[in-house]
Amino acid sequence: MSSRSPVAAASVAAPFPPRRRPLGRRLRLAAAPYGLLLPASVVVAAVLAYPLYYLVRLSFQHYGLFQLVRHKGEAIGTANYAAIFHDSVFWHTLLRTVAVTAVCVVLTVVLSTLIALLLAELSSWVRLLLTAGLIFVWATPVVVAISIWSWMIDFEFGVANWTLTKLGVGNFTHHDWLANPWSGWGVIISLIVWGAIPFVAITLYAGLTQVSGELLEAAAIDGASRWRAFRDITLPLLKPIYVIVISLSIIWDFQVFNQVWLITNTTPTPDYFVMAVYSYVTSFKISEYGLGSAIAVVMVGIMALISVFYVRQMVKLGDVE
Amino acid sequence: MKTRIIVAVALAAALAIPASTASGGTTKASASSITVWLMSDAQNGWPTAVANATSQFKAQHPGVDVNIQYQSWDSVLQKFDASIAASDTPDAIELGNSQTAKYMAAGAFQAIKPKNYPNSSTWLAGLKQSCTYGGHTFCVPYYAGARAVIYRKDLYRSVGYKSAPTTYSKFLAIGKKLMKKYGSNSNFSALYEPGQNWYVAMSYVFDYGGQIAVHKGSKWQAVLNTPQAIAGLTAFKKMTLAFSRASKTNDEAHPFPSIPFAKGRAAAFIGNGWEWPYVFNPKGGAAPASFEKKMGAYPMPSHVKGKYLPTFLGGSDIGIPVQSKNKSLAADWVKAYTGTASETLIAKAGNIANSTKLLGVNAKNPALAPFARAAAFSWFVPSAPNWANVESNNPLKPMLTSILTNRASIKSAVTKADSQINKILNAKS
Repeated sequence: MSSRSPVAAASVAAPFPPRRRPLGRRLRLAAAPYGLLLPASVVVAAVLAYPLYYLVRLSFQHYGLFQLVRHKGEAIGTANYAAIFHDSVFWHTLLRTVAVTAVCVVLTVVLSTLIALLLAELSSWVRLLLTAGLIFVWATPVVVAISIWSWMIDFEFGVANWTLTKLGVGNFTHHDWLANPWSGWGVIISLIVWGAIPFVAITLYAGLTQVSGELLEAAAIDGASRWRAFRDITLPLLKPIYVIVISLSIIWDFQVFNQVWLITNTTPTPDYFVMAVYSYVTSFKISEYGLGSAIAVVMVGIMALISVFYVRQMVKLGDVE
Repeated sequence: MKTRIIVAVALAAALAIPASTASGGTTKASASSITVWLMSDAQNGWPTAVANATSQFKAQHPGVDVNIQYQSWDSVLQKFDASIAASDTPDAIELGNSQTAKYMAAGAFQAIKPKNYPNSSTWLAGLKQSCTYGGHTFCVPYYAGARAVIYRKDLYRSVGYKSAPTTYSKFLAIGKKLMKKYGSNSNFSALYEPGQNWYVAMSYVFDYGGQIAVHKGSKWQAVLNTPQAIAGLTAFKKMTLAFSRASKTNDEAHPFPSIPFAKGRAAAFIGNGWEWPYVFNPKGGAAPASFEKKMGAYPMPSHVKGKYLPTFLGGSDIGIPVQSKNKSLAADWVKAYTGTASETLIAKAGNIANSTKLLGVNAKNPALAPFARAAAFSWFVPSAPNWANVESNNPLKPMLTSILTNRASIKSAVTKADSQINKILNAKS
């Protein structure tokens, strides 16, 4: 017995060591996922983390043309931040950016919802036509789209003024759409929303196809109006999709740059400043790279807050499923 | 799984190989070519001068390519700054004479020895000064330009004026008659004047005795909020609103005034000498050749009898960035381009050449002589090193827009512009 027990112990233990012994291999297995993540992490670090680090570092420096030529900034602590927080243009720009974002997101989501509902009601070939139209808008590179819009609203030779005049809406000959910031922003916001609708509308339509027709039928039999059915059945079911498209739209619209920059011929007046434009103008037009970076850092901070909300919602949605 | 990783690594490696050879290729290419940034004015106005310089250079350096990249005034400084940051600057670059101070002060240009360059003993004083900083020369004068009124003789004649106006009151009288006769066509302008053409607006400011900014003690002070400057802007506003249907939110490059002029929508516009031939350029309006006989030019009269409205004495210089790796090749191209042969072509295209020796080139040309006459009364921007930043982020343009669209009184618009200009001019550089 006594001689057997070690054997038994050994035989019991025998399968154990082979599993346990190559600690190296176990570690390697545990490390494999991290290893797989490594290339992506390196890319992310190179294209995101390093520029971000550099941006933050720049925001604590005086960095003008003199410093640019020598590739060496001059540390000045938080002076850039003090300067922007005491700058009324900065606060106006921030408020304007928030307002523009809000208007764009609301318009995008409402119009896209209407289009999505329309898509669900259409016969299949009309739906195909409309979807193709949406895809064309989506596929138009933003710079091309802006050029086309610029031509349409051109002061001297634009088709918008010509058409409106011919239609008898009023005398729009030489109407300058950008002279008044309200009508100018009207044009820019239309342009942004026009470009943003396809993605949101198609995403929402995809969601709508998942809403069971039986539920809506049952509601109709119970005497619910279509609005009531939409509000109490469709909307709650689509909530996860709405959370995603609204968060993404906020993130996209908050950092709008091209539409404003190009439609104003790259010389926007302060009435047309949004955060991204203000940062760019400060950096590249007056060579105050440190100050421009500080504005960009504030913008990144605000975006990070919005993203935290977005990521939390995504995680919550994941938990439910 | 292991094989997948191997495949992935192999793929990544395969992708990396062409990438690294590609980057090797560009370094090699730069040794056999130089890159020159010129403004699109050269492309539109005197491409033959550029071609002439390049062929002269190639005869001297067979096998070296010259890569001319045309830039627009709107964005050239931003691109130049980006190239400095990347240590990948062009080998030679044209800058406006109001932009050079900033770059010389920052040490962005290689100092040059003028005696090595053609005609340097007769360089135009104004341009030479814009290339001098701290006793050294950092760029080569390229050309200068003055603005004059380019007009339609036939239209002026149709309202009873056989010759160009020599007084401001006559200029106004012609404009009024033109507007009366043709103004019912809402596209017609007696003088096409883009609202943000600050060169013309500031001409009025100087004509009424005003200035943009002055050096006081150790600081710069913008002085648009003075009775003289306000009087000038008031006259500018009155004239522009009465005679021009051009956009009030765009400048003289959007569109080029030559386009509405060529299309018959304007009886006149204020332009540089090179804008005369540009009227016939496909990009400048493509006027029919018969137009040439109908066209004339005259220096814009001042409200003071016997004087002209001071014109902005603009011009350009060419510098060699310190970061260029082909400085001596670049210098040879610049020598060819600013030498007598090319400069003669540049002058014939409607400009003032860089050397006093060549001032006679256009003396017998009735089209271009008025531009030279106009240069007798001129103004220039403040000599502050930061002035280029004012032009880049130009607070004068929105100021003019708000004045012309009545969004602000002249007084409040100039007060705002003054504070913006003060902030930029006095910023630490």
